Amino acid sequence: MNMSKVVFGFFVLLAVTLNFGFFIGDIDNPDHHNVYELFAALVVGLIATVLKFGERSQIGAVLLASSLVVDLQLIAAAIIWAVAANMTDGGVTPAVMASIVSLSGGALLANLLSLVLLTLETAGLGR
Amino acid sequence: MATRSPLNDSFIFLFLRRMRVPLVVLISAYAIATVGFTLMPGTDDQGNPWHMSLFEAFYVVSYTGSTIGFGEVPYDFSAAQRLWTIVSIYLTVIAWLFSIGSIISLLQDPAYTRALRRARLSRRVRGMNQPFYLVCGYGDTGRMLTRALTSRGHQVVVIDTHQEKIEMLEIENLHAPVIPFFMNANWPDNLEQAGLRNRWCSGVIAVTGNGQVNLKIAISATLLNRKVAVYARANTHSEADNMRSFATDHVVNPVEEYVRRLELAIDKPDLFRLYHWLNSGPDAHLMKQLPMPRGNWIVCGFNRVGRAAWQLLRERGMEVSVIDPDPNGEGRPEGTIRGCGTQADELTAAGVYSAVGIVAASDDDADNLSILITARALNPDLFHVVLENGLSSHSLFRAAEPEIIGQPSVVIAGTILSRISSRLVEPFILNLLARDNAFARDVLACFLRHQDHRPPEFSSGRISAKRAPALTRAIESGRTVTVGALLTNPRQRGLRLPLEVALIRRKQEDILFPADDTVLALGDRLLLAGRDGAAKAVRSVLESDALLEYVLTGKDRQQGPLWQWLERRLG
Repeated sequence: MNMSKVVFGFFVLLAVTLNFGFFIGDIDNPDHHNVYELFAALVVGLIATVLKFGERSQIGAVLLASSLVVDLQLIAAAIIWAVAANMTDGGVTPAVMASIVSLSGGALLANLLSLVLLTLETAGLGR
Repeated sequence: MATRSPLNDSFIFLFLRRMRVPLVVLISAYAIATVGFTLMPGTDDQGNPWHMSLFEAFYVVSYTGSTIGFGEVPYDFSAAQRLWTIVSIYLTVIAWLFSIGSIISLLQDPAYTRALRRARLSRRVRGMNQPFYLVCGYGDTGRMLTRALTSRGHQVVVIDTHQEKIEMLEIENLHAPVIPFFMNANWPDNLEQAGLRNRWCSGVIAVTGNGQVNLKIAISATLLNRKVAVYARANTHSEADNMRSFATDHVVNPVEEYVRRLELAIDKPDLFRLYHWLNSGPDAHLMKQLPMPRGNWIVCGFNRVGRAAWQLLRERGMEVSVIDPDPNGEGRPEGTIRGCGTQADELTAAGVYSAVGIVAASDDDADNLSILITARALNPDLFHVVLENGLSSHSLFRAAEPEIIGQPSVVIAGTILSRISSRLVEPFILNLLARDNAFARDVLACFLRHQDHRPPEFSSGRISAKRAPALTRAIESGRTVTVGALLTNPRQRGLRLPLEVALIRRKQEDILFPADDTVLALGDRLLLAGRDGAAKAVRSVLESDALLEYVLTGKDRQQGPLWQWLERRLG
C-alpha cells in the first residue's frame, strides 16, 4: 500500500462527496445549501489540485485539468455568494442561489470525471 | 509518456512536485483560520451578538496572513476573536515562511538549477539558424578546435563532463557564440539535446579522452543523423578500425598520425614540413628544414608511441637502443636498458655519445623534458624528437628547442580542422603523400610566394549552374576557361590572386596542382588553398559575368540591361 496514493484518493473522493452534499437539494432554496459545505468543497478541491501537480502521465494531466475546472467553478460560485450577501440589497435570493448551485453542479461533473479517471488508472485500464 | 520532450520541461514538473507540500500547508492554514473566525462569537457596534461571515473572515485572514494588518474590521473584536486572531497570525505566517523557504531552497537546489540551465541551453540550440559543430570533450584538443572553429565564424556546441571546464568556457572570449553543456556525451539522449538532430548540425567531433566514448558518439551520430559529418579520435588500432567500419568521415589515431609524420620526416623531409604545416591548426608555423640523421637512435619509453618509433627506425635500417622502466615487459627488444632515460648513466649505457638522435616518448612530460636536457648535455649534436602529452607545459617544451615536438592535441585538432574545411582535403592529402620530396619542395615554394608563416586556408567550390553561374554560362557558350584565368586578380588583371588550385576532382581523375593552362570543365570540383579571404575573389568571378569577362579578355563589361544595350548599339 502506498500512503501517498491513499492521501490522493482521499482528497479526490472527499472533493466529490462535499461537492455533491452542497449540490443536492432544491436548486433555489438557500436553506438546502450550506455555505460551509461550499467552503469545504473549495478548500478540498484546491488541495486535490495541488496534489495532482507534477504528474507526467496522460491521465495525470487530465486529472489536473478537471481539478482546475472544479476550482474555477467553485471559486465563481463563492464570489457570487460573497457579492450577493454583502454588496447587494436583496441578499442571497432564490435566483442567486440557483446560479450558485448550478455552478457547483458543473464542478460536480468535473469532480466525477476525476473520480472515473482515478478509478480507471487504479484498475490499470489507463494504458 | 505523452510529453513531447521529457527533458525539456522537466524543471516545471520538478517545481510543481516540490511545491505540493508547501501549497497544501498554505491552503490548510488559510482554511482553518477562516473557518475559525466565523465560529468566534463577537458583538456589533450596537452590542448585538454577531458572527463574521466567511467572506469577512477570509478578508481578515488575508490581511493578517500577509502581515499587512488593517486592524479590527468591521467592528471591534471580542476577546474570543482576538484569541483566534493570535492563532491565525502564527498559523498563516509560519505557513508562508515555510512555503517561501521551500521555493528559495528549490531555486538554489543544484538539480533544479541544472535542469533549468539545460532547458535554457537546449532552447538556444533549437533556435539556431546557421550551421554549427558539436564538439564532445573540452580538453586541450576540444579547446583548440573550438577556438579555431569560432574564429572561422562557426557556432559551436560543447559537451563535457567537467563542471570547471564548462564554467571556464563561459568566460572565455570567442568570436562566435558557444553553447556549453555540462553532461555526458556517452548518452545519445544528451547528444540529441545538444542538437545532434538539428538540421543545422554540420559536424560532430568526438575528442573525449576515452576512445570507447568517442566510438559510442560516432555510432550515435551516424545512426541519428545521416547527413552529419563525424570526426573522431581513436586511441587504439582496433577502435580506429571499428570507427572506420561504419563510415565515420574521419578517424584520427594520434599514434598512427605520429608514425605517418615520423615516416615522412625520415623519407621526405620537405613533404613532412608541408604536411605538418597543413595539418597543425591555424597557428601552425612552417618548420625549419631539418633532415633526420641516419645512424644510431635511442628510444626512451616503450609505450605505443615509443614502440611505433622503434619499429619505424628499425625498418629504415637504423640501430635503435631502447630505455624503458620495464625492460622485460611484453614485446621489448633484447638489450632494453632499465630506467626512464632521465639519468646520465642510463643514456651512456644506451650509447648516447655515438647516437645521432633520441626519441623521448614517455608518458610523463617532466620526464621527457628531463631526458631532453640530460641527453643534450651529454651529446650536443643529437636530433631530438619529443612527445608532449599535455599542453600545460608547452612553454617549457618550446624553450627546450627539440627538433620535432609531438603534441597529441595539436595533431588531432589540426588533422580534424584541415578536413573540416572541405571534403576534398582528404583526397588532396592522399594524393600529395603519394608524390616525392621534390614535388613537395615545389609546392612549398609556390605557397610561400603568397603566404608568410600562416598555413594556407582551404576552401572548395564546384563548377555548376548553382555555384558558378557565370563560369557555367561561359563554358556552355563554348569559351575555354583555364585555371590560370580563374586565379587572375579580378581587380587588376596583371596580378595573380594569392592562392592556388590544389586539386581538381573530375569523374575519372584527380588533378593535383593543375597547371595554369588546364581547361576547366562543367562538374569539376575545385579545392583552393591560399591566403585567408582570397577565395572570396575567386567566388565573385564564378558568379559575376562582368568580372569573368574582365578576367578573360581585359574588357570591362557593362552591368545592367540598359548599359549592355547601349554597348551593343555603340560597339
